[in-house]
Amino acid sequence: MKIEQAPPQLDRRAFIKKVLTGSVTGSLLLIYPMGGGDALDMLQPSTIPDTPEQIPGIRGEEYDIHERKFAFIVDITRCIGCGSCCVADKREYNVPDGNYRTWVERYIKDFDDQVYVDCPNGGLDGYQSPRTDIDAPVRDTFFVPKLCNMCKEAPCVQVCPVGATFTTPDGFVLMDSDRCVGCGYCIQACPYSSRFLNPITHTAEKCTWCYHRVRKGLLPACVEVCPTGARKFGSLKDETSEVYKILKGPGVLSVLKESMGTWPALYYLGARLEVI
Amino acid sequence: MSGFHEGSAMLLSNFVLPNDIHVHWSMMIVLYPYITGLVDGAFIIAALYYLFDVKSLKPVARFSLLFALAFLCCATLPLLLHLGRPERNLNMLLTPSPSSAMAGFGYIYAVSMGVLGFIVLFVYRADLVKLKQRSRGMMKLIYRVLTFDCDDLSPRAMALDARIIKILVGLGIPVAAFLHGYVGFIFGGVKANPTWATPLMPVIFLFSACVSGIAAIVLAYIVIRKLTGKSIDGPCIITCIKTLTGFFILAFSFEMLEVFSHSYLKSGYHHMVEGLLNGPLAASFWLWQVKICSGIPLVLLGVMAFIKLQQSRYNLLAAGVSAILLLQVFIMRWNVVIGGQLMSKSARGYTVFHPEWFDKEGILTVIVVMLIPFVILFVLGKIFPFWTEEQNG
Amino acid sequence: MFSNYEFRLIITVVIIGIATGMGFVVKAQLIPDSFGTYGHYRADAIDEEVLRPIRHGTNASCLKCHPYEAAIHLKGRHQTISCEFCHGTYADHVNNGKKIGTLPVKKDTEITTLCLRCHNTEIKARSQAVIKTVAMPEHLESQKVKVTHTCNQCHHVHAPLKYINRAKQITGITESES
Repeated sequence: MKIEQAPPQLDRRAFIKKVLTGSVTGSLLLIYPMGGGDALDMLQPSTIPDTPEQIPGIRGEEYDIHERKFAFIVDITRCIGCGSCCVADKREYNVPDGNYRTWVERYIKDFDDQVYVDCPNGGLDGYQSPRTDIDAPVRDTFFVPKLCNMCKEAPCVQVCPVGATFTTPDGFVLMDSDRCVGCGYCIQACPYSSRFLNPITHTAEKCTWCYHRVRKGLLPACVEVCPTGARKFGSLKDETSEVYKILKGPGVLSVLKESMGTWPALYYLGARLEVI
Repeated sequence: MSGFHEGSAMLLSNFVLPNDIHVHWSMMIVLYPYITGLVDGAFIIAALYYLFDVKSLKPVARFSLLFALAFLCCATLPLLLHLGRPERNLNMLLTPSPSSAMAGFGYIYAVSMGVLGFIVLFVYRADLVKLKQRSRGMMKLIYRVLTFDCDDLSPRAMALDARIIKILVGLGIPVAAFLHGYVGFIFGGVKANPTWATPLMPVIFLFSACVSGIAAIVLAYIVIRKLTGKSIDGPCIITCIKTLTGFFILAFSFEMLEVFSHSYLKSGYHHMVEGLLNGPLAASFWLWQVKICSGIPLVLLGVMAFIKLQQSRYNLLAAGVSAILLLQVFIMRWNVVIGGQLMSKSARGYTVFHPEWFDKEGILTVIVVMLIPFVILFVLGKIFPFWTEEQNG
Repeated sequence: MFSNYEFRLIITVVIIGIATGMGFVVKAQLIPDSFGTYGHYRADAIDEEVLRPIRHGTNASCLKCHPYEAAIHLKGRHQTISCEFCHGTYADHVNNGKKIGTLPVKKDTEITTLCLRCHNTEIKARSQAVIKTVAMPEHLESQKVKVTHTCNQCHHVHAPLKYINRAKQITGITESES
């Protein structure tokens, strides 16, 4: 197969021009069907081109929504603060600037147990330079990714006045953007600040653990791009999955703000005492 | 909450979670409880007269009903201005979630409007019948509907009216309690916010609502009577002020108990509340809400309770205290609604709030929304006279 | 029995009752059909979320058409890095089996910035067990390389130790501290 040299700019117009004028040899070679029919088929599990399933047991089967359980584990000891997850999430959902479905916080501790936390632009640019505004010598630094905790007793679901946010039988807390009136009650009620009001649609929004990907047997975008395996996701019906082994194993897992009684389904491995 | 004991020294590192920077419930949500509070307080005055037969309140009884109605008509406005998708507001009526306090709005509001509307109709039926007999065409039709198409003003009918009014007012008290109490619970039911999550929230809201409503009636009564050159009924003002004093002592005590209790118990995220009240909200809470707008009225109300004053001086103090208390309740709502949102859920920082002038929920909008009920009151006053003929003497 | 007035009041109450009843009938009509299937929400919203267009592929989707890069990437230390993080999302590139756009390739100092996002040791939060970090320009100085060099002048971006290991093989020089 011919090696494709991609020109350095994303230019749909130039591409179309080239095809029409037929002036670029090999431009026709850029178009080759990859199996699958029309656009709608692209969305059906059986014809997602070239993406083998990452969560076994979902594709090619009837999805019984009552029999499914998933787990998301964040391993703080492996997070390097690269921000790939934030970038991927923003791209997957076209999240408006200034709002974050997921973000990565940086915790710094000095020798007096004073904790400094920051989160420049939600971690979208990664952490490219150290903090310059701390006078005391730094003893410790670590990164904490945050996202929706998918609480089993979600306060956001409890307070939504119109049933626009809800817990599905398979444990995901999702949004119905057609019913949301934008009152903002769910945003107030979430103890983890996972929610925001989309300034374009004027409805509430939050991380959905990429439900649309999970249902196609793919990992959430942030898990997919994490280079160190700090984010882990899997089906609890699959006993060989990493999350199953961690959850059912002897390690210490924690959740955020346990005293709130929300029973999050998001677990942290290696979370430190300072993380709130 | 383990291993977290930076206490108030945490402000070295002011960390606000990325989604917490923006304050979502802005001035319209300060205004909504304020308006329903005014409705409740005004209704208390009417209830004291119509149900509990406190005869000294007769001069303001009708006026307070109209005042309550005028403000109740506008109660939806701040909410519609706040919603991200106001065109979907009917969803609250179609699919109200049984677990959500806010979902109660549609039905509670409808019932309150119904009850208050009918109370006004029955109280004013005699006047409406006379107006109907004097008018023609479209207005006559309207009055026909409003008087149930019946001219019967016989003693039997009037006695029935009086009974119906009593029943409706009796019904109206729990309805009014729900109308404002559920708002208190909207806040009280949010465990994520340390200022809001307290069982006392509906109680505090209700008592301060009564304070604001009664103060509004006193001030409005004095101002309107003075401007129209009419006399001010002394005993009426005295009864109002006594009721006001009672409710205010209760409201203020609960407000202070709330703060003191949390500060003593040191449980949960109390340090955030302390940091808030001693930090961003120091002026707004301690100076304005407590010292100026609660301290001064307490002193003045004490003077009015224990020292014999000339009626004209008493009325002047009454107007002054009422004005200050109206401000106190507004500031209290502000400190709870907006102040509460200044605390980030990171438990490590505070965000800031900048009121805009020309926003959908801005200062100009607040002024307009607060003026509309007075316009409605003025119009209502043309149909339903505030005072009876003997009161105009 | 009832006077004219009382009768009218009763009619009023009945009218209110009927209106309320009709209101509830209308309400039932206006509520979406799938509402209440699983709970107090519109069950169709679940299916709508499932149909959301997928924007990211996985590395497997990229490497299927880019076997040259695949051969290098899958053998290197960067095999866990997502192609799409540096180059952009799959959905901007391919739709329905056809190329719809060209994804950007980073150049020069853009590459160094991107590398330092993960490999900058000054951030001090990266365990050596997870990732190897360096400080700039000390890393360049210690390798006796011009400080204006970009990372990709020594490291293959898709397999960062490819050239380094080959160079060691050829020259027999063992690793000095970085």
